[in-house]
Amino acid sequence: MFMQQMINGFSLGSMYALIAIGYTMVYGVLRLINFAHGDIMMVGGFLGFFGVAVLELPFLAAVLLAIVGSALLGMASDRIAYRPLRSAPKISLLITAIGVSFFLENAFNVFFGGVPRAFPVPSVLEDILEFGGLTIPVSALIVPILTAMLLAIILWVLFKTKYGMAIRALAFDVDTVNLMGIDANRIITIVFGMGSALAAVGGIFWVVNYPSVDPMMGVLVGLKAFAAAVVGGIGSVGGAVLGGLIIGFTEVVVIAFLPELGGYKDAFAFIFLILILLFKPTGILGIDFEKSRF
Amino acid sequence: MRKLSVLAASALLLASSSFAKEINVGVVMSMSGPLAAYGQTCNEGIEFAHSLQPKLKNGDTVKLVLIDTKGDKVESANATTRLISSDKVVGIIGELTSTNTAQVMAIADKKEIPVIAPVATNDKLTEGKKFANRVCFTDSFQGAVVANYAAKDLKLKTAVVVVDQAQVYSLGLAKAFKDAFSAAGGKIVKEIKVSSGDKDFKAVVSQIKAANPDFMFLPMYHPEVSMIARQAKQIGLNKPMFSGDGVANQTFIDLGGDAVEGYMFTDFFDYGAPPTERSKEFIKAYAAKTGKQEVNSFVALGADAYNLMVDAMNRCANPEDNICVNNEIKKTKGFEGVSGVISMDELGNSTRSAVIKVVQNAKAVYKATVNP
Repeated sequence: MFMQQMINGFSLGSMYALIAIGYTMVYGVLRLINFAHGDIMMVGGFLGFFGVAVLELPFLAAVLLAIVGSALLGMASDRIAYRPLRSAPKISLLITAIGVSFFLENAFNVFFGGVPRAFPVPSVLEDILEFGGLTIPVSALIVPILTAMLLAIILWVLFKTKYGMAIRALAFDVDTVNLMGIDANRIITIVFGMGSALAAVGGIFWVVNYPSVDPMMGVLVGLKAFAAAVVGGIGSVGGAVLGGLIIGFTEVVVIAFLPELGGYKDAFAFIFLILILLFKPTGILGIDFEKSRF
Repeated sequence: MRKLSVLAASALLLASSSFAKEINVGVVMSMSGPLAAYGQTCNEGIEFAHSLQPKLKNGDTVKLVLIDTKGDKVESANATTRLISSDKVVGIIGELTSTNTAQVMAIADKKEIPVIAPVATNDKLTEGKKFANRVCFTDSFQGAVVANYAAKDLKLKTAVVVVDQAQVYSLGLAKAFKDAFSAAGGKIVKEIKVSSGDKDFKAVVSQIKAANPDFMFLPMYHPEVSMIARQAKQIGLNKPMFSGDGVANQTFIDLGGDAVEGYMFTDFFDYGAPPTERSKEFIKAYAAKTGKQEVNSFVALGADAYNLMVDAMNRCANPEDNICVNNEIKKTKGFEGVSGVISMDELGNSTRSAVIKVVQNAKAVYKATVNP
């Protein structure tokens, strides 16, 4: 029973972690809390749904479609909404992000309706493994593996490639990067593309785990992933993973030990967030932004 | 003499022109927003019933004035005020959810305009109000129906209840069920609270599996229930599951897939077992007009809200007399509606039958009728 709940916590936590990584990437570079991240995740889920249910593509092709589509959408939102505000105060950028979020939610609501649709999950991912009384859905195994793989890829891009170096430089100072002959706008576009692709992967695996897609599905998850990124230390990719796991475990532990208070599990998760921030304002793996990044 | 006849003729003309009056009846409904699918279904029933019976007995025409609430509380209140003050409606049909209907009823009660709610089941809605009525049953009745059916017909002894504490509907229905189930000799072994909007219930279903009850009662709406059913199946929890009317729609079955096969829930009406002559006629006319054989229970209840309103107006000497219309609504006894036989009480609640349905081969199938 206890082990089963730990597995549940791990599967939920790695789901949050997967989405939190994208949040933290964009924040690390632009210092922008991209509130539209949860909604790009929703778009990813929808594109996956269209790929599988409407175009009848194989699952992996649908995932590819979702990733490419969401990355393009992320880049477009940067080009249309954020780039004109590059020199504006950060708060204007934040409000714009909220605007983009509302726009996406309502646009999908108008065009596709608010009724949730069932996502046809490929049967391979619906299999259940059993070990001595423990039941582990295959999807719950794949998500942590995927999160770890993506984490490794991102760290490799950031620290081993030329683009990564440019991204890290950008996080320090946009103007100076421009002086060094790097096209900052192009790099920022790449960051948005990467962040949105991550959101799309998160979205697809979210709807594989919880097979229903609707235009508002990104709101609550986005908020939790944001909390996860803050707990772990926003701007730190490893911290996002840690934060996601902490939030996931907190929720499961509340239901396991205090079922009567289960409805308040979000409150517990957020109280935890406040406690951590009281003692470590930068988050667990948080970095002092004046010194280093990622 | 000639003058007089002209006068008489013009008086006659005047009388006849006032004879063919148009009387406004307001409809407040969630036609857009998250609950649009249900609101549109319900309004379809109201409008279809209107097309079948657009005139009163005395020849007056009923005109429906529809305002979309977008599923919002404040919009519902504004819509009600507008209908009463500028459209001068005699009565109002709506809203969809209990939360929004409470707003409509609060305002209409002050202005003494009768309201008939088609599907809002919360017990407290009509309490302390003179002009609030409904054609659906209440949550306490619904909870008792499930409890008695499970305890007496299915001989189930222990239950786990999962409550959505963010929904008044869920809290009310859960309480009604717990009281009735305990009274029928059953035992609630565990109660777990969740909150709407959640998707991950793995921890919840693991807890239920450990408690090992005879069945589960999930008085919630379909987005959460379908996820719980799926995750329960994943961990091999194969106990019978019950819900109220919050899952009585095809979306629930689509979202739940294989996991909701055998799922049981209460509903108001089943088109496969028409309870009255009027339902048979309605189903026939509906099929002729829309080509759809299946009449959703929200369509039937929307139609009955309209039919009951017209019936009460017909019994008033002056159908524009809102006080008389309200009194006649409450005096209705044994009214043959589309959704069943409806009797109203002083509080504005209806006494009516419920049906129990079970999901078989991805369709909700009629199982039993429960009379009050």
